[in-house]
Amino acid sequence: MKLSPTIAGLLSGAALALAATGGALAQDGEPIKIGAPLALTGGLADEGQKQRLVYEMWAEKVNAAGGIEVDGVKHPVEFIEYDYQTDGPRAGQLAERVINEGAQIIMAPFGSGHSKITATVGQRYQIPVVACVASSESVYDQGNPYLFGTLSPNSNMTKAMVAYLKEKVPGLSTVAIYGKDDVFPKSMASATAAAAEDGGLKVVYNELYPAGAIDHSSAISSIKSQNPDWVYVTGYTQDLILARRQLANLGVEPKVLTMVTGPAYVEFTEGLGELADGVTSQTWWHHTVAYEGVGVWPTTASFYEDFKEASGGQDPDYVHGSCAGALVMLEDVFKRAGSLEGPALRDALAATDIQTFYGPIDFGENGMNQARDLPIIQVQDEDIKVLYPESIATADLELMGD
Amino acid sequence: MDVGQIIANGLVLGALYACLAVGFSLVWGVLNVINMLHGSFVILGGYLTFFAAQVIGIHPLAALVPVALILFVLGYALQATFINKVVAAPVLVTLTLTFGLDMILYNVMTVYFSATPRQLTLGLGSVEFWGIFLPVERLIGMGLALALTAILFVTMRTSSIGRAIVAVRMDRFAAALMGIKVNRIYAITFGIGALMAGAAGSVFAMVFPVTTNLSGVFLGKAFVVCVIGGLGSVPGALVGGLALGLVEAFAGVLLGPQNALTAGFVLMLLLLLVRPTGILGVKGYE
Repeated sequence: MKLSPTIAGLLSGAALALAATGGALAQDGEPIKIGAPLALTGGLADEGQKQRLVYEMWAEKVNAAGGIEVDGVKHPVEFIEYDYQTDGPRAGQLAERVINEGAQIIMAPFGSGHSKITATVGQRYQIPVVACVASSESVYDQGNPYLFGTLSPNSNMTKAMVAYLKEKVPGLSTVAIYGKDDVFPKSMASATAAAAEDGGLKVVYNELYPAGAIDHSSAISSIKSQNPDWVYVTGYTQDLILARRQLANLGVEPKVLTMVTGPAYVEFTEGLGELADGVTSQTWWHHTVAYEGVGVWPTTASFYEDFKEASGGQDPDYVHGSCAGALVMLEDVFKRAGSLEGPALRDALAATDIQTFYGPIDFGENGMNQARDLPIIQVQDEDIKVLYPESIATADLELMGD
Repeated sequence: MDVGQIIANGLVLGALYACLAVGFSLVWGVLNVINMLHGSFVILGGYLTFFAAQVIGIHPLAALVPVALILFVLGYALQATFINKVVAAPVLVTLTLTFGLDMILYNVMTVYFSATPRQLTLGLGSVEFWGIFLPVERLIGMGLALALTAILFVTMRTSSIGRAIVAVRMDRFAAALMGIKVNRIYAITFGIGALMAGAAGSVFAMVFPVTTNLSGVFLGKAFVVCVIGGLGSVPGALVGGLALGLVEAFAGVLLGPQNALTAGFVLMLLLLLVRPTGILGVKGYE
């Protein structure tokens, strides 16, 4: 098709005008590219969607504010997302792919195992990996200088839990521990056993169940025969829902029942209804805990408000909180690094010591966020109450069966 | 060790395993198709039951029949449309095809229903006999599982469709010569396999959380039960399910829960060595 000179002139004029307008609106620099292998389908799809929602909220907010200033130039942010289908090896392949497509930093996927795989790739290419949902120390003890995690170590949580229960539950002396044989739940189970023994409790049952277990009746029958004061179960939501029902059905009634991270997810309380009442847990973040800090969400309230709107009225959980905390931290990291090169970003990450709405972020030698007081929560009347630390407590511990 | 409680746990779980496996066994035995869709069919049945209860307010027990029929139609259509075209091909071809179909169904369910575990809480508690606790929901599940398995057994023995299925299973060429439309019987058999999976899904929705995460686990259990009990035979699935349930229950207590699943696989391997047809299997279908 041949255009007449008049029409061609009009079209080119329009194109120029469009380019000029666009140029005035756009930020000065090239986009900062953040790689994000996500589990958008498969077993961890819900967790992957949670991460994606927060990434989208943050990118929109940052870009609306004109982007992030690096060495005097404002850059918009852009996520390079791929679905790794909850398949660990594929997470590693996609981490490589996002790096080849120009990612300057990677947000690791959900969970300790998949974060570890992604971090190995990041190290190979000298691209920093920020893990916002990996808390097992075994992920961080590999000497990888390019891995940083915003959750605090598991052992920190379990010591606080043992100390809290010993203070609040008169006569607490025995504990049964039952955990899933997977990186995070196993690490929580062993950390709890160690903390309980250090705290003078007797561990009367300590077993793991394999991934793929769909029945806990044998273990629960064994636990019942020990009649422990405290039952501590770790696993993912579906395991914990099943275990809670079977504990009730087989007549196990401890004074305290802890399920990690069960009640930290709204799906747990929704799935169990009244049976969730009384279950205690630990979490890395709860939206009632108010901190102030840097970035596009300077307060917990500002994040909570935006999240409510973006999610259609849902409450955020620790996955949302930790990932959003990691992203507001990155705003600060990019500014401090003054460069978008991997090693410079790594150094800036390592030097991080800031406050965010999610809490303080200060990476230790191994790249993990330093220990701090983490909330202990309990389901009371199908609602989450914070029991500890005292400064933010919204309720007192209720013993099971009271 | 409370042996009574362990046996009760094992039998209740075993009956659920039998219900899970009987449709899978039928399809494998008759069509020589290892139906990778089976676990997702069970989950789909569970979701349909869950949403029928949550959205329309239908009791899970009342939802069982319509859910099973929906799954029958789906299974029949899939077999008639896709699987019949390659049913005579080597088993790897049908395995790959059903694996691909399973990936589609699995991810469609994950996208539309999310992987969030959902639970129907009937809150029926448990009954206690001589210190043995029996959860009422699981007892109902066990009763339904046994009833469904019995109905399928009687259907296979007494109805003309059942006899035609058995005839095709024994010799599809001879069956064709006798005037049986083999492709139609294949589609009906696959439909019945899906129907049983859907019914199992309804039963399971009362006992286990409904989530796509469990589809692979259910498929694996069905596989082990079939190998233990014997392929293509309804009583074989029942015996295999109960055997697996009991082995897992005792191993969970004696060897620790982390070894319970391994014990089930060890039983399967032992049977493959000494009796490849399974406990009640027929020679030629191992």
